[in-house]
Amino acid sequence: MSPLRELSDTALVLAVSRYRQDALAELYRRHAGAVFALARRVSGEPALAEEAVQEVFLRLWNQPDRFDPDRGSLRSFLLAQAHSRAVDAVRSESSRRRREEADHRRTAEEGYDVEHEVWDLAVAEHVKDALDRLPREERRAIELAYYRGHTYREVAVMLDQPEGTVKSRIRTGLRRLRSELSSAGIGGSE
Amino acid sequence: MTGERSHKDIEALLGAYALDAVDTDEAEAIELHLRDCPRCRSEVAEHRETASFLSHSGQPAPEGGWDRLVASLDEQPPELDMTRFAAGPRAPREGEATIITPARWRRVALAATAAAAAVALLAGVTVVRLNNRLDDVKQQVALASGIRDQALAAASDPARREIRLASTQGQPAATGVLLPDGRLYLFDDHLQPLPGDRTYQLWGVFPDKRVVSLGLLGHDPDVALFRGDPNLVALAITEERAGGVVSSTNQPTASGPVTA
Repeated sequence: MSPLRELSDTALVLAVSRYRQDALAELYRRHAGAVFALARRVSGEPALAEEAVQEVFLRLWNQPDRFDPDRGSLRSFLLAQAHSRAVDAVRSESSRRRREEADHRRTAEEGYDVEHEVWDLAVAEHVKDALDRLPREERRAIELAYYRGHTYREVAVMLDQPEGTVKSRIRTGLRRLRSELSSAGIGGSE
Repeated sequence: MTGERSHKDIEALLGAYALDAVDTDEAEAIELHLRDCPRCRSEVAEHRETASFLSHSGQPAPEGGWDRLVASLDEQPPELDMTRFAAGPRAPREGEATIITPARWRRVALAATAAAAAVALLAGVTVVRLNNRLDDVKQQVALASGIRDQALAAASDPARREIRLASTQGQPAATGVLLPDGRLYLFDDHLQPLPGDRTYQLWGVFPDKRVVSLGLLGHDPDVALFRGDPNLVALAITEERAGGVVSSTNQPTASGPVTA
């Protein structure tokens, strides 16, 4: 059997479905950091982010058949779950008010940019370029929705824009990003 | 229900939905729509894939996280969820098994077939892409990579039970193995390819004569992995229209026992 590090994510998920803990360990090694970082960024709470990591990998262990390689990469599958979890957790009345106040301040100050954390070397520059090339309003809408866990309606209020406009900018922005990343050779599964 | 929102309305929300940026009632409406709309499902998957690049990789995992995770893993493999086998007749969704009318099966002769050598089992094992969305999702995972190795390992697993399916004339049709955890590998060497609008469907029979659909083999099957059950006593294969059926009115193309 190949050393685990050489197996694809999909092969490892299959091994997980046969109760191979070492396969889960390798998937954890590959993806837990990214899951944690996203959950922490969205929720602003490291303890909650740690819980999200636990939940996501426990779910992978118990229900590996939920992952469909036709739908996308394992990374995006895990991140989508973590993101949803983080958003649910913070979408409470008081925490929302706190975050909206913080975001209003940042919006007013303009020029807030993507957080500078450690990026994967192979991808980071391209992603940064693609984001920089996005029309500013598309980028702001996506960042407020994705990184701050706001609904598009809340973003519309915060940016003082029609809801339809925000919806459309998020959708168009994501498409544009995908196209930019794809021409940089990024975006295929695994 | 879906009349409240047009397809265009749903489409407009797909970007926000993929970023978890919609209200609960909107999410519910979208999820309902996604069940029947592959195009929108595909768009959501693309947006989520794009979003995954917006986050960060190369980060270390939280301290002690792995140890905590290991501590909470079950020691015993979880029980196979049998509740879905008890569902009444309705259109099958992805990954669901269904029950077909037991009366149909009284005419089935579950004939034993000649034993096939282990070498013959493994001949011609190749990966094939099943072409139908009704299939058990786990098959999709298996087929993407590694199924050859897994199938080889399964075929020499000492705890396996052998499967031999033959036509009503006694011609060998398919062989396979059933593992104690319910995984079922089927090698469909002898099944003739069907036209593209047809598929082979696999059915499992329980000791109480209940029959359930285990999934589809596609129109040109070779090797496949199914989520079976250690209690299965026999299997059968029918030819159906692409997409499979909730209940079959066809005589099996092949059938056979799961040996003890």
